[in-house]
Amino acid sequence: MPGVQILHAMTDSQTPSEPNAITKGIGVSPGIAIGPAYLYARVSFDVEAKAVDPAEIEHEKQRFEDAIRKAERDLHKIIAVTREKLGEDSATIFEAQLLMLRDQAMYPEVVAFIESKGINAGYAVQTVMSKHRQVMEASDSEYLRERSNDLLDIQDRIIRHLRRGRILSAVDEETIVIAENLTAADIILFSRRGILGCAMDFGGPTSHVSIMARALGVPALVSMHDATTRVSTGDLVIVDGIRGELIVNPDEKTLSAYRTKQKRYARLQQQDRQLVDLPSETLDGHAVALQANLELREELPLLQQNGAKGIGLFRTEMLLLMEGRALVTEEEQALEYSKVIEAVAPHTTTFRILDLGGDKLLPMGHREHNPFLGWRGIRIMLDKPELLIPQLRAILRASANGPTRILLPMVTRIGEVRQFKKVLAETMAALAEEGTPFDSDIPVGVMVEVPSVALQAGLFAEEVDFFSVGTNDLTQYVLAVDRGNDMVAEIYDELHPAVLQLIRLTCDAAHAVGIPVSLCGELATNLRAVPVLLGLGVDTLSASPVYLPAIKRVIRAMKRTEGQALADRALTSSDPEEFRVFMDRWLEEHACGVSFFLEGPAD
Amino acid sequence: MIEKEVTVTNRAGLHTRPASMIVRTASQFQSEFIIQKDDYEINGKSIIGVMTLAAEQGATLTLIFDGSDEQEALKAMETIFEDGFGEVK
Repeated sequence: MPGVQILHAMTDSQTPSEPNAITKGIGVSPGIAIGPAYLYARVSFDVEAKAVDPAEIEHEKQRFEDAIRKAERDLHKIIAVTREKLGEDSATIFEAQLLMLRDQAMYPEVVAFIESKGINAGYAVQTVMSKHRQVMEASDSEYLRERSNDLLDIQDRIIRHLRRGRILSAVDEETIVIAENLTAADIILFSRRGILGCAMDFGGPTSHVSIMARALGVPALVSMHDATTRVSTGDLVIVDGIRGELIVNPDEKTLSAYRTKQKRYARLQQQDRQLVDLPSETLDGHAVALQANLELREELPLLQQNGAKGIGLFRTEMLLLMEGRALVTEEEQALEYSKVIEAVAPHTTTFRILDLGGDKLLPMGHREHNPFLGWRGIRIMLDKPELLIPQLRAILRASANGPTRILLPMVTRIGEVRQFKKVLAETMAALAEEGTPFDSDIPVGVMVEVPSVALQAGLFAEEVDFFSVGTNDLTQYVLAVDRGNDMVAEIYDELHPAVLQLIRLTCDAAHAVGIPVSLCGELATNLRAVPVLLGLGVDTLSASPVYLPAIKRVIRAMKRTEGQALADRALTSSDPEEFRVFMDRWLEEHACGVSFFLEGPAD
Repeated sequence: MIEKEVTVTNRAGLHTRPASMIVRTASQFQSEFIIQKDDYEINGKSIIGVMTLAAEQGATLTLIFDGSDEQEALKAMETIFEDGFGEVK
């Protein structure tokens, strides 16, 4: 049976996993999962052609029909959950996929292929779909080339059902799924089947699948690079979604330590629920606002569950990317933003205007050699009034419903702020003319993610209402390092004194004129950094909601003056490893109950 | 049989969502529906077919309808093309 050979090839070709092998990636949904691995390979390996006996042709056609029905059932489930968790708009792609299953260019062609060639259904599906895909992949349009993935998704889904009927059971319950890449749809189906966790070779923290994993509470790792080649189905693995690590075939000591850790994490989560209603303030009474980073309206329930007081960063790109079209209308945006603002009020919602470019898809299919130093963020928006003005109008209109702020991404020069404010004033004048209500005092802030802004923070502070430090890009630009590049990723250090120095400059300049500083990068979720950031003068920490209780735990266990001393120490530290060890000890001594999750397995 | 040239006006071109709209609209009519682009021709009632056109903004397509309700079908199809599928042009 060809399927069996494929399965063997998949597992046998791998070198046996060494015990206790740790692979580093990015934890995108916290929690700890321990269980057998289930290697969920995309059906990128070819299905072999196999002659079907003439007497069996009808049976083969029936198998195909059964697989289509199962795929339809999957997609109905996926559409329902996507609608519930992420909204109607996100479901349109899956609705199109549903349409493809019985497409006139697919279903009858596959049946005809099985009949005329006397060949197995899987090979027929693969042949017919490849033909269509090749046409799309030859397109000059990057967007349409990418859409050929929809066809691949459908092909995979059908073939998987065909294979499953014979040799593969469905993804087993109580397993940890290891895959090159999963879609949000996969996570939904797996979560319903009761998987414990997952790890992917690709993906990032803000990808759709990561958001879905967090929403469903499935511990998840992304950017594991080669997890699928290191793990075989059945290997015992540990997903540490807190530290972003995958441990393969742990030894007895590691395993028992992780079992303890898992129990303690569950206990901590219980305690977190009590923390949610307590104020976020230091032992010496200094209040630190905790806000949420959000991508989708459907994540709003997580705010209250985790004690977020407002949204420090609402990324508006998701609205576009999920729609798969170049622009969502002003009307649709206004409606979406209003719903968010109303749900968050009386707290504030901060909308970051479209931050396209860099590593984020550009709908115009534009390509650059050096995208991180190229056309991105505010640079695009100022060049493209047809993107900026509808979004501004939508945010302004929505601002009539509750406290709202506007945040500008990737600002480098003060001229960009001035140019933006000119557009803002014109847009406000037009709305006033139409008699449309809006907040005419809407605060405007800039992301501090390019060193020039931090170095000229005094100048910017005179002209904006708040700062929001984006540590991911800031670190990348200060240290000239692409953290996605394995060759240099080690140099990427968000606690590097040069990065911290720029945060201090930003805070000092802001406080001199009385405007607040928020920090919305991943650094806020690094518990070692929290005391240092408070010491540097950061007023607000904004992070994915699930991380907020742990951050609050650290804040409530420290004095602000201690933070200041730690910041001084961090600014002069020349050995990152030494400082890390020092901070871990500090967290431990301060009984935050979190250091346990930073340090290695308990001894 | 009637045919008519139309232009793709929305910025993003015939991606998944407009392709669904075309197929759903065409399927409401009895008439056969062919779309031609350069030397390539596809069944307009097939979403995979429409997607493989890879038609971008500005592309010219020939719509060919054949059947009892071809006039109405063409009219409906012209309307959604002119409207840019409700997307930005």
